[in-house]
Amino acid sequence: MSTHQHHTKDFLFTYVFSTDHKMISKQFLITGFLMGFIGLIMSTLFRLQLGWPGESFEIVELLMGSWQENGVMNPDKYLALVTMHGTIMVFFLLTAGLSGTFSNLLIPLQIGARDMASGFLNMLSYWFFFVSSVIMLISLFVEGGSASAGWTIYPPLSALPQAIPGSGAGMTLWLIAMSIFIVSSLIGSLNYIVTVFNLRTKGMSMTRLPLTIWAFLLTAVLGVLSFPVLLSAALLLVFDRSFGTSFYLSDIYIGGQVLDHSGGSPILFEHLFWFLGHPEVYIVLLPALGITSEIISTMSRKPIFGYRAMIGSMMAIAFLSFIVWGHHMFLTGMNPFLGSVFTFTTLLIAIPSAVKVFNYLTTLWKGNIVFTPATLFSVGLVSTFISGGVTGLVLGNSALDINVHDTYFVIGHFHIVMGLSAIFGMFAGVYHWFPKLFGRMMNNKLGNVHFWFTIVCSYGVFFPMHFLGFAGVPRRYYTFSEFPMFEEMISINEFISIFAIIAMLAQLVFFFNFVYSALRGPKAPMNPWRANSLEWTTPVEHFHGNWYGEIPTVYRWPYDYSKVDSNGDYLYGEDFIPQTTPLGENEKDGGEH
Amino acid sequence: MKKMEENIKQMTTLRAENINYKEELKRKTSKPLIWIGIVSIIMFFGGLTSAVIVSQGGGGFLAIEMPFSFTISTVIIVLSSVAFQFGLISVKKGNYLAAKLSITLTLILGLLFIVTQYMGWTFLHDNGYYAAGKDSTQESSFLYLLTGLHVVHLIGGLFSLLFVLVKTMKNKYSLENITGMQVSIIYWHFLGALWIYLFLFLRFIIA
Repeated sequence: MSTHQHHTKDFLFTYVFSTDHKMISKQFLITGFLMGFIGLIMSTLFRLQLGWPGESFEIVELLMGSWQENGVMNPDKYLALVTMHGTIMVFFLLTAGLSGTFSNLLIPLQIGARDMASGFLNMLSYWFFFVSSVIMLISLFVEGGSASAGWTIYPPLSALPQAIPGSGAGMTLWLIAMSIFIVSSLIGSLNYIVTVFNLRTKGMSMTRLPLTIWAFLLTAVLGVLSFPVLLSAALLLVFDRSFGTSFYLSDIYIGGQVLDHSGGSPILFEHLFWFLGHPEVYIVLLPALGITSEIISTMSRKPIFGYRAMIGSMMAIAFLSFIVWGHHMFLTGMNPFLGSVFTFTTLLIAIPSAVKVFNYLTTLWKGNIVFTPATLFSVGLVSTFISGGVTGLVLGNSALDINVHDTYFVIGHFHIVMGLSAIFGMFAGVYHWFPKLFGRMMNNKLGNVHFWFTIVCSYGVFFPMHFLGFAGVPRRYYTFSEFPMFEEMISINEFISIFAIIAMLAQLVFFFNFVYSALRGPKAPMNPWRANSLEWTTPVEHFHGNWYGEIPTVYRWPYDYSKVDSNGDYLYGEDFIPQTTPLGENEKDGGEH
Repeated sequence: MKKMEENIKQMTTLRAENINYKEELKRKTSKPLIWIGIVSIIMFFGGLTSAVIVSQGGGGFLAIEMPFSFTISTVIIVLSSVAFQFGLISVKKGNYLAAKLSITLTLILGLLFIVTQYMGWTFLHDNGYYAAGKDSTQESSFLYLLTGLHVVHLIGGLFSLLFVLVKTMKNKYSLENITGMQVSIIYWHFLGALWIYLFLFLRFIIA
């Protein structure tokens, strides 16, 4: 083989078809962020329409072509954009992008493993994700446009190709892309679970695992249990669309013409969809909660408060997430008794969530807080988790939900509690582990600017939506100018749109910081945050295998910060004690009690 | 420069140790991987069979006459599991001829299972129960779907069986090196159990 060929081969297996978890993590991060950026642009475009309905934005026409004829958004395309924004953000950015990046990066590094259980499956997981992303984007350009039935793709809109323009080829590609996505997610989750259970280094007991790993593990368990059900739902939908079965369809007329379908029910789809859909919320949220637990403890230089309570509450949240799906379906004619059961299980989630919030705050309390962008975003998550969680109590209660169902109240709620919390967790993770990912430091000043603009604008966007919801403004409408009762609301929508545009611009600061720092940022030291966990004992440069020579042994939990002896002096002279430091005499391991 | 040389030296030792590492990795993780994979398949069929129950609650199903060949399928798949297990025991005892014969038998029984499934579908079709289309009903569609998806998973099992057969023919398995065969056998037993579940489910819920 010539040297040139050899180099090409090396390049291909190092950067493209890599089986190294760190490279795969970067692949997930970059693909996820690109998809997220597209989702963000989509939201800005439909916010233009909602803020200034019918007004012409000729400059946008350059970008959107016939989607924005004479600068005004085409109503069909509005639905397409709303659908794709939801799909991309929930699945591509916050499921694959978040979990894929940080589970891949941190699981082997923090448990002390050379790589995942199967590097090959891991690579396959990324490439399935990549192909699925490409197909999802191609669906924007087929005749009739992309899927337009909302990210929840309820039938019959999604089941009848002739229903709306977006129900045709766009919907077919959506289903294909999502099926591939599910396979990717399942393979990834399989790998994460087996790695955590089987490849921990010596001394790394389950009660010495960082909370990040617990969160990723539970996320993967949720994925393995819930995504197959979505696959079954999608499969039945494909059969209804293409082969003339009637799982979800019954007695349908289109344009006066009777269709052959009979006997099915669209409610069946809702059951199957939300059996995934609700755990999916926690698939998105739990990694963010794990990441911020780690960051808040490290950056307030204090042990995490209630380590076991944190694990227990994550387990409780994960378990409860499987028995609450009915709260998305209170308006389907559900038996009120069943509704009250779902209300009960849903409101139970408030307990573990409150435990987590309490523990975050008590960890921060009286800590020597180091304010990095990662800290700020973590605290931002605590804020959004509270303010979004509180409105969850309203929506989880069947009697109250009926009044605001399918209004902007719901949009405000889930964007704050799931969207913002998860993306704040992701940003926190990127700022915190950037030195591990790229061997360089990000710029803190730009990070702070990014944080303050993002949090102020996010609340500016999503907080007023609750008022819209109380006024009864329904979600997914193209315009409200035709409804006299909503006329007063137009100025609120303008207010929201202005904040949305500023928030979008603030993300450009992040993208600049990200790209510039990855290429030109100052070189990172081995342990820039003076943290305890194992990933900071690996060399800054990346190579397959993570540690030269032996993998270090672990002797203690990862949260021994500011541990003092009886004289009040720091043990071992520092305010942190890495997990690789053996326990001294009379010293107890924090995770054990 | 010296540091780098040192690193390279360490890297080489790492590579040497890599061969053992890979084998150990396979031994440690193959079985958990297949078990968790099985869990996700259980959830997949769990979703589908609960869809049947939800649909049935909607309006009640008309009874479908179950083809007799599905009962034969059940006998065949149980026998195939027994044969495969016997093959594993034979390898462990070092009786390679018995292992080769019983794994070949497993493969033949697996193929026969698909044949009897096909016969079942023909029977259904000829009696006016269609998989899809104007005259199909939800219950008949579910019947084809559940049995069909099981066969799809079984074909995956047949490929792994073929792989195991080739390795057995080459006498590659031994008491120490048997993980691959064990993984295949776990999956095969699961397919049998899944069929028995589906058979009973269809027998008592749809038919």
